[in-house]
Amino acid sequence: MNKWIKIALRNILKNKRRSFVTLIAIAMGFAAVSIFQGYIHNTYKGLRNSAVRGEGLGHLTIYKQGWLEKGKIDPDKYMFSQEELKRISDLVEEDDDVILATPQINISGLVSNGRTSTIFLANGVIPRDDKTIKGTWTAFRPVKGEGLSEKKSYGVEMGEDLASHLDLKPGGYGVIMATTLDGQMNALDIEVAGTYDTGSSATNDKYIRVPFTFAQSLYDTEKADRVVVLLNDWKKTDVTRERLEDTLSGAGIACEIKTWNELSLFYLKVRGMFDMIFMFIFSIVFIIVIMSVVNTMGMAVLERTREIGTLRALGLKRRGVNLLFAVEGAMLGFLGTIFGVILNVVVWAVIRAVEPSYIPPGSSSPVPLIVNLVPQSMLVLMLFLILLSLMAAILPARRAAKQNVVDALGHV
Amino acid sequence: MKLIEMEEIKKDYFLGETVVHALRGVDLTFDRGEFVAIWGPSGSGKTTLLNLVGTIDEASSGQLFIEGQEIKKLSDDRRTELRNRAIGFIFQGFNLIPVLSALENVMLPLEIMGTSFSDAREAALRRLDEMELSDFVRHQPDKLSGGQRQRVAIARALVTNPSLVIADEPTANLDSDTSRKIIGLMRDLNEKEGTTFIFSTHDQRLLDKVNRLVRLEDGMILNGGNEK
Repeated sequence: MNKWIKIALRNILKNKRRSFVTLIAIAMGFAAVSIFQGYIHNTYKGLRNSAVRGEGLGHLTIYKQGWLEKGKIDPDKYMFSQEELKRISDLVEEDDDVILATPQINISGLVSNGRTSTIFLANGVIPRDDKTIKGTWTAFRPVKGEGLSEKKSYGVEMGEDLASHLDLKPGGYGVIMATTLDGQMNALDIEVAGTYDTGSSATNDKYIRVPFTFAQSLYDTEKADRVVVLLNDWKKTDVTRERLEDTLSGAGIACEIKTWNELSLFYLKVRGMFDMIFMFIFSIVFIIVIMSVVNTMGMAVLERTREIGTLRALGLKRRGVNLLFAVEGAMLGFLGTIFGVILNVVVWAVIRAVEPSYIPPGSSSPVPLIVNLVPQSMLVLMLFLILLSLMAAILPARRAAKQNVVDALGHV
Repeated sequence: MKLIEMEEIKKDYFLGETVVHALRGVDLTFDRGEFVAIWGPSGSGKTTLLNLVGTIDEASSGQLFIEGQEIKKLSDDRRTELRNRAIGFIFQGFNLIPVLSALENVMLPLEIMGTSFSDAREAALRRLDEMELSDFVRHQPDKLSGGQRQRVAIARALVTNPSLVIADEPTANLDSDTSRKIIGLMRDLNEKEGTTFIFSTHDQRLLDKVNRLVRLEDGMILNGGNEK
């Protein structure tokens, strides 16, 4: 094998200019795919954190059976009672991978500053549990003001655009109104305990976070419409869901469990779009690499037809000729991807140093452009491009190996 | 057993719609240890005959036996193995692999055979030493003179200790002095090691050294078994 590697390497070095152009094409292709992969890797991570911690979806959400289908029509019937909530929390928190199981309730209605009113959507959360779910997210999107607290049952956190619209600042007062589960009109005073950026311009002028007990009072109920579960590792989401489904159905609790990515439509849409762009870029690179290697190896085969005839006369079998050029193709792929890795690291370092930012569509504020280095993905891409180069080299080599030896020897 | 037996060998080429009869029913045998020249005017079929004996081309009809094996019945792989083991080639244009050194070129047939690197190197160095090329083992072909290249090619042809060496116009690209040396070298190897040499040539100096001359004209043998 060594002799074929030696011959391949020397032939690559012999045709410096042609090899250089091919290596650059492979390196650029590798870097383009790898950098984009690093970018979407970071974006997916950010979107996941945004859904799980920012939106407060947790990793799993448990609904009473039928809530998602008919909950809007008859909420009282499809909400969990106090007793059910306690049983679910006890059972779920026994799981080793569960950090927290907390009840929540969604409410909606009108919010007013006394002069103007507008609609709101609110999430009723237990402040202590909400802090656990948010985790480090609060450092990324901090709440201005003191925030939710068990001590102040009427203190709420308000989306920045909504607060601005109502001309309310932390410490300001307002009123929110909604109909109870029985259909009666109800209104409660609020104090803006904090304002926050939801990250999306579509929700920043509508969202409010209120204490769980406050939301129950507004709806005049002791129930909750869901239990949000936080896990110690997002990768365990699917297996834990299956396990909890078994546990809860075994305990006779009719429920359905949704994962964070099923509930976050934004995540699904963005992921779908990026996956499509990735495939598009990857297809272009795929074609460039194949064309470059086929062209280079085609030229090499043509120039070295006499050499192939000589090797065949000396006793090299047809598969030996294929191997010779396959090794050369693989070597081009290997060297090209090594240059690609170097290019990738340089671009990554420049981005880290410059720290550029941009405002994505639908976002309420700039986000930093971050590209991750993902060694596992880089390795897979490297192996794929080496294999691709190898296959592309075999195409012209097979044609050469099939030639009559005399014709090959007579080639000028 | 004869080393090579050819029975009614014909070879036709197609040039568009024209059929060229390169060999028209050749019967020929070669014994081990012969030093034979195939001689004749251009287009007489010398190279075609050598290509068939070297198993790098196939006859249109007739039978060819090498070491008792009928070549037509061998698969491409078996034929290639036979070439590697039993036949050495010396080409008019040397046909050395340009990216390999003299030593690596000579080692190549053994490495293809699967011989270990150290054994291949040892055998190649010995052959290069016989060709008085010990000082040039690391030189690449483009750094060698024509005579040196041809000696490397001879070393490569002999490194597997083949029973047959085929040389197509081995002195055609060499000056007189070098040609004389190369001819002497091949004759010595033939006498010392008993290797069969079959070559095509127009070179009178080479023709003077052979012990058998096969004269071809228009694809037919005029003087097939003439002993000198």
